[in-house]
Amino acid sequence: MNSDHRRIIHDVLWLRLAQMIVNEEYKAGKFKIPIHLALGHEAIVVALNHFMQDEDKILLTHRNIAYNLARLGRLKPILDEYLLKSTGLAKGKLGSMNLENLQRGIIYSSSILGNNFSVATGVAMAQKILPQNGVTMVLGGDGSIEEGTFHETLLMLKSLNLGAFVIIENNEWSMSTRIDQRRCPIDLGKLTSSYDIKYVRLEGNDPFLYLEQLKKLRKLALDGIPVCIEVMVTTLGDWIMKTPEIPDGKFVNYHAGPAPTVEMKDWPLLIKTNEEDPIFVLNKYLDQAGLEEMSKEIRQEIDKELTI
Amino acid sequence: MKYLEFVNSLLKNEVAKQDKLVVFGQNISAGSCLGGLTRGLSVRNNSKIINSTNSENTLCGFGFGMMINGVSSIFFMKQLDFLLLGIDHLVNTYNIIRNAKQDNSSSFTIMPIIVDNGYQGPQSSFNNLPDMCSIARIPGFAITTKWEIEKIISSELISPGFRIITVSQRLFKEELLSPEKLYYSNDKNTVFQYSSGHDATIICFNFSFPQGWLLHQELSKNNINTSIFNVISATPTEWNRIIESVQNTRKLVIIDDSKSNNLACDALVTDICGTCDLKKKIILKRQLSDGWLNPTSDIMELDMKHIMNELTN
Repeated sequence: MNSDHRRIIHDVLWLRLAQMIVNEEYKAGKFKIPIHLALGHEAIVVALNHFMQDEDKILLTHRNIAYNLARLGRLKPILDEYLLKSTGLAKGKLGSMNLENLQRGIIYSSSILGNNFSVATGVAMAQKILPQNGVTMVLGGDGSIEEGTFHETLLMLKSLNLGAFVIIENNEWSMSTRIDQRRCPIDLGKLTSSYDIKYVRLEGNDPFLYLEQLKKLRKLALDGIPVCIEVMVTTLGDWIMKTPEIPDGKFVNYHAGPAPTVEMKDWPLLIKTNEEDPIFVLNKYLDQAGLEEMSKEIRQEIDKELTI
Repeated sequence: MKYLEFVNSLLKNEVAKQDKLVVFGQNISAGSCLGGLTRGLSVRNNSKIINSTNSENTLCGFGFGMMINGVSSIFFMKQLDFLLLGIDHLVNTYNIIRNAKQDNSSSFTIMPIIVDNGYQGPQSSFNNLPDMCSIARIPGFAITTKWEIEKIISSELISPGFRIITVSQRLFKEELLSPEKLYYSNDKNTVFQYSSGHDATIICFNFSFPQGWLLHQELSKNNINTSIFNVISATPTEWNRIIESVQNTRKLVIIDDSKSNNLACDALVTDICGTCDLKKKIILKRQLSDGWLNPTSDIMELDMKHIMNELTN
């Protein structure tokens, strides 16, 4: 296995551990601000992080923690930001939902559903005008495609030949409701083809395959061809809530706040033992012992960083 | 020269000078070109004019997106009420950008037309730029006179940051109002003074300056000399000069032609009542009847004789 491959595996494990540490702080009541963890999203995040080049720009949602961690590569400035300290990434002035990092290409993060799609059209246009040799990428969840801005953005990207990636992280939930409980299905492939926009579906949580696909799409974007990429994810951290009224318990999907049933462990970092968990998928590339050893090294790195 | 002609000429001039500028909006270079507002605009080779899609929300985001990535733009809009579709960006996107304090020198200006020319029905019900601006403390300018148009277009149309500049459709075909002298304008270009008199102070808001100027002239004919001001922005603003004038004349006439419940003049009335010992206070607002949403002439008429009597009694 070459060093690039090891790096990607390392980054997935690091991202999981970093988020777990944030979760522990959250469970301990350390934060005043709302934070939306992205446990389970590590594969696409790491793939995008390795895909991004200097002139690329990415626009995020309120669930930007994993992207900010991955792009920065350090935990402490993010933790400090969440604690609203002046040593935070944005000196404690942005908190979580609007956290950006211009030096690392995170040009905008919005807490409003679908808001960042529109802004991405302008970022992409500016790349064309200046010009910049980079790709604009904008993230959204499957709930955000219900917003009118999603349609308007696809229309404008195509009409103005703006080669952006519109990346939809589809976890099949919108806050507390399953998508199929609140609306008719939307076939993104058919929707995007009606605008003559290229559609790609990614699933399986394999960061290597994701990265390979993204690299193939770069030239399209630079040639002014927009692409819609639907990534199937599972946002991990759900739990069963039992109350006197519901003694058998009710399934609660993770949306925001601490994930009460996710426990900090050295190993395994698994939350689910199937392909819904990107850590599980890493077994394809490195055996259990190798992953465990790497995880311990990462834990030491993080502990050292946090101690300093 | 007509108001529209003057505005258009200055716009053409400013837009033609800029590098890497994007000018966009629905039909801005097709058909009537927004009733003539954007007719003849031309840009340099590295700039762009876009006849956009009907996507007002995303078009607002488009302008902000360009701004944060280093490109200036102007969004010309046929009617102010179209901007309601983009309120998310006026509030959330603008606040996110301001809070992040990104260091860039790019500009985003939205230039909607206020549909106040009459007989338009419900779509002319929203004529209050200050109301729109107040929701996120957005710099905004409702330009009426030659002085205001020159000053605002030259200094604000393309300048770092975001603002809204509106014009009045009702004035398009009218002769450009050109008071002989500009006595004063504040540092923010939000308050303009066009005469200095000791008998009364007239203060106009939104697009009521034509009525105020007519009143000023009528009063002058009857030897009542007034100071007249035009407040062209959202309020409150820096208006110490106005308050000094009212303290001197002690007779106040406020004219606000807006149809909203929140009026720009209300903040000034509060400030004045707290600091001035008034002999006369005349506040002229729209009197909206049951049919205010019907297609009507939409002109705010003033009873000049009544006002004169009030001021002289």
